[in-house]
Amino acid sequence: MDILSNLGEGFSVALDPVNLLFVLIGVVVGTAIGVLPGLGPTATIALLLPITYTMDPTASIIMLAGIYYGSMYGGTITSVLLRLPGEAASVVTTFDGYQMTKQGRAGAALGIAAIGSFIGGTVAVIGLTFLAPGLGKIALSMGPAGFVALMVMGLFLVTSLGTGSAIKSVCMAAVGLLLSTVGQDPINGSARFTFGQAPLLSGLDFVAVAMGLFGVAELLRSLEQTEKAQIIKTKIKNIWPSRKDMKDSAGAIGRGSVLGFFIGILPGGGGVISSLASYALEKRRAKDPSRFGKGAIEGVAGPETANNASSTTAFIPLLVLGIPSNVVLAMIFGALLMHGITPGPRLMTDHSGLFWGVIASMYIGNLMLLILNIPLVGIFIQLLRVRQGILVAFSLLIVLIGVYSINNTSFDMWIVLAFGVLGWIMSKTGFDAGPLVLAFVLGPILEKSFRQSMLISGGSLNIFVTDPAAAIIFSLILAGIAIKAISGFRRRLAGTKASPESPVAEEEDPQATSDGGEPAALLAASPGPSEGAPAAQHADKQQSPTAR
Amino acid sequence: MVSSPVEVAAEIREPGRPRTGALRWQRRIAPLVLLALGLGAASGSWQLKLGTLHNPAPGLWPFVISLAIILGAAALIVWPGHEPLEAWGRRSVSVMAGIASLAAFVVLFELIGFFIPAVLMLLLWLRVFGRESWRWTAVFAVAGPAVLYVIFDRLLGVPFLADLALDAFV
Repeated sequence: MDILSNLGEGFSVALDPVNLLFVLIGVVVGTAIGVLPGLGPTATIALLLPITYTMDPTASIIMLAGIYYGSMYGGTITSVLLRLPGEAASVVTTFDGYQMTKQGRAGAALGIAAIGSFIGGTVAVIGLTFLAPGLGKIALSMGPAGFVALMVMGLFLVTSLGTGSAIKSVCMAAVGLLLSTVGQDPINGSARFTFGQAPLLSGLDFVAVAMGLFGVAELLRSLEQTEKAQIIKTKIKNIWPSRKDMKDSAGAIGRGSVLGFFIGILPGGGGVISSLASYALEKRRAKDPSRFGKGAIEGVAGPETANNASSTTAFIPLLVLGIPSNVVLAMIFGALLMHGITPGPRLMTDHSGLFWGVIASMYIGNLMLLILNIPLVGIFIQLLRVRQGILVAFSLLIVLIGVYSINNTSFDMWIVLAFGVLGWIMSKTGFDAGPLVLAFVLGPILEKSFRQSMLISGGSLNIFVTDPAAAIIFSLILAGIAIKAISGFRRRLAGTKASPESPVAEEEDPQATSDGGEPAALLAASPGPSEGAPAAQHADKQQSPTAR
Repeated sequence: MVSSPVEVAAEIREPGRPRTGALRWQRRIAPLVLLALGLGAASGSWQLKLGTLHNPAPGLWPFVISLAIILGAAALIVWPGHEPLEAWGRRSVSVMAGIASLAAFVVLFELIGFFIPAVLMLLLWLRVFGRESWRWTAVFAVAGPAVLYVIFDRLLGVPFLADLALDAFV
């Protein structure tokens, strides 16, 4: 009953006309940028961060969350119609969704994706509603040592799931931590690494760093791309799926919801992994797996559902533990910090209006998306006519003014430019910006918790073994490393012995050009489908005639 | 991660696109830079004093991180990896030109305010990089900054620096 009254409070916050407007803005903008290739949710949220500065914290988080899950819907549209995933998590949808379009069933594919996303998102929010308070209680009982362990785990998962090599990701996480030490020492206030620059005393501005690494870098990269927008030729009709379609996809949607929910809870989960896992699961379960890749509706329904469910539950580690599980959530984390609110177990009690308001807004946002998507797909598609060059030029200009507006100093413009260049060079040299930003956000809190633990223990590192929470988490991390090492070793063994097929499997996942097997490796260790791992690789091999 | 849909899309649509791998020694440049950063940060934090674990001075935490960077960079120098990297090409030069234009924008912004640099920047980006027609370039390059000026300076109250062009009119 306690939960219901809290949720009631949340709805009273979310149904406030202003907040309702921001849910709507969030999901519409999210869908739009999901459709636009070249501007993902990360870049968009980075661009919008300065605006949220002036907003009420609850409204700003509600809007940013809306953009996040809205973009998941939007990405589907282009994946299905053009085989052009607007964001990474919809890559899987292109396998069967685009085939359905070719068969003239684009409407059904989009319809089932919208319905599946709605169900997955809603199931996940319900789970979030009931799971969060319990988890929060556990988190509250943890000491600083436990938090150090949790944050290390968050960083570990993000680095091991990154797109490039794990060592590179670890390096980037360390650089992020280092950058976060610029400014004043949190305890005695002496200047660190400021090189005599007064504006650096308050540290590097998170917004400038994030906008540079994601916004500017992404826009600069577009100069190197040769992508030309495609004009849609197909007419979309019969958006409401037939009864048979519904029956065929019901199971996939149900399984996708549960799968996505559990993968989303893991720090580092969400998005790509869940949709990949769901696709693999559906293919395994199918009576006739050969239909997959040729327009099987389950291949659209399952992954889309899982994708949305996991991106919703990814808010659990953020709001309850204070661990952002991916880059988008790190941005939202940064937005909260800008408002002087530190996400963590206390959030639920200290800012209960915000916490439950955001959760309640997700119920509403998912409903809005369902309503928006089914009739308005045609309008969103028109966005593809916006020419890339215009989008890029104006986005850059807005980035520069936006970052200036935070502190009204042109110093931040140089910071954003410098990080833009850094982000571009990093992408050219195979370094992932995700771990860097995540570590940058977690850095100050990690340092503080570490120092507190050292004060408690009198300078002994034993506290990380004797503190039960820390011990459990650190052993989980070690187990994760062991599993990774073993599976990597096995793969190498198989690689030397086996067929020329295996490099193809590794190349296939467009997200993990170097380390295709890793998401699967994590899945094997996750509470999700323990059988999903081999299936995922198997599915990839077969499913990607295009990727060879 | 989530942030490079264009790349993902490009890969899906042009499956055979060859992604030239850089030469072996070239792969060691970035780790070397990283190593230099780690060493610099380590010596910087050493100067800040380390203190003890129980009673740390400001330099301890950055020093630990610098060690991690040094170790990571060293590992990368030994094993630079062989994953495919994007090649540097003629188009990379246009990115550098783009960066230079943005730097020029910031310098001009500090000197003569928002409007003129914004128009110049849009002219360059729309006409040269975006390959828009002259007509559309002109329309967007003048109307865009005007609209943005109204939104940011007038509506959102961001105090722009004294503006050479607009102050003559407004």
